[in-house]
Amino acid sequence: MPHTPQAPLFVREMGLPSRFALYVLVCLLLLALDARYSALAWLRGGLNAALHPMQRVLAAPWEWSQDVAGFFITHGELKRDNDHLREERDHMRITQQDRQTLLAENNNLRQLLALPARPDTAPRVAEIVQTVPSPFARKVIINRGQVHGLAAGWPVVDAAGLVGQVTRSYPLTSEVTLLTDRDQGAPVQNLRNGLRLIVSGTGSDKWLEVRFLDMHADIKEGDLLYTSGIDGTYPAGIPVAQVVKTEPPRNTPFARAYCRPLGGVGRYRHVAVLKPLEQAPTPAPAPAPAPAPKP
Amino acid sequence: MNGARPLLPQGSELAAPPNRAKVMVTLFTALCITLLPWADGLRWLLPDLTLMVLLYWCIHAPRLVGLGIAFALGLVTDVTHGLLLGLDALAYCGAAFVTLSLQKRLEGFDAPRQTLQLALLLLGKEALVLTLGLAFGRGEADWRYLSAGLVAILLWWPLAMLLDRISGRPALPDKAAVE
Repeated sequence: MPHTPQAPLFVREMGLPSRFALYVLVCLLLLALDARYSALAWLRGGLNAALHPMQRVLAAPWEWSQDVAGFFITHGELKRDNDHLREERDHMRITQQDRQTLLAENNNLRQLLALPARPDTAPRVAEIVQTVPSPFARKVIINRGQVHGLAAGWPVVDAAGLVGQVTRSYPLTSEVTLLTDRDQGAPVQNLRNGLRLIVSGTGSDKWLEVRFLDMHADIKEGDLLYTSGIDGTYPAGIPVAQVVKTEPPRNTPFARAYCRPLGGVGRYRHVAVLKPLEQAPTPAPAPAPAPAPKP
Repeated sequence: MNGARPLLPQGSELAAPPNRAKVMVTLFTALCITLLPWADGLRWLLPDLTLMVLLYWCIHAPRLVGLGIAFALGLVTDVTHGLLLGLDALAYCGAAFVTLSLQKRLEGFDAPRQTLQLALLLLGKEALVLTLGLAFGRGEADWRYLSAGLVAILLWWPLAMLLDRISGRPALPDKAAVE
């Protein structure tokens, strides 16, 4: 038997139970730090940046096969798509003309009323590269991150409406929490009568709800809800949802309205990330009136 | 031929102990498989292959894997899930601890009997993650994800056979032949 000088006669290490207790402590510490104080963003970001290239490599064959499948698309499909797009383009041209005149009019009116100019947002297009395999959150990962100038809190939209919000941004990717996540909400306005509401997710891709609705609130089936822009996160005027049914109060003093999201939450591959407004359109009133400048 | 078997395995039955490279490569492969872009509709059926391979090595190579590797793998899984840092790490450490404590017993069983012993562990890990997620207020749990544990139980036997082939471990002596 070969002589092994490294092997000690007596094992000098902690026993399994005490090592386990140590690891459990570390895990609980991590859990508490992450859940209560969100103090581990750097660790998460670093590990994520390290994992990202690996995930890209793993996803590559799948993407190539998608590309190949997309190559053998039939003539009929192409023609149908083309017709559809042409129709949509004509429609958009008409609305665009309208928009130009409306924008000009809006600017004029704002100047007349001495209101600050409506903030403009430049969208950045991103691709959904991954969904998060978690039983809890409705989240997706997009392929734009801190390097591309994204930050947590930015709204994410698609061609049809609001999709969600960037909740974590890593160096190369970002995590978008979908509007349908239970903890996600958006301030909206009813297009018909301007009623301000808050739409929240339900955890299902098909439903959104207005939870604490006044019993006598004027909201009806078919109403369109657009972002109101009063939270300073979402720009105003993004389509969010359409009311599908309203429910009178039963056991609670509040009524509820169920809506269908207008944006393709969980459907599309490309989304646009908007830069949020620089300052909230409704600044908090100053605590004391500023002294008038002496003439 | 008197049918008597020697008490200690001899000859071809004596397998070389699994080396570190094999353990690491299989663990890494399992992690990669879970990281593949699986379809959304199948996510809740996807068993935690990383954990299964980890438990296999906990049983058959307890000197090479331990709580440290379980913790590191759990942390990586946590980052890919983006839920809570430390959630999967805790579950992995717990599962590895139980398996390592029962290692002497589990090693003597063949794969189907191991399944019976590990079923509670594989299912319990999913339940633990769901419960802790709920406890830390991460919204409503999707309880369908428990079925990932059931799939893991069903897959234990094939996986153990595959890893047996990879590690070159001979099959356990047939009980009928011994008697």
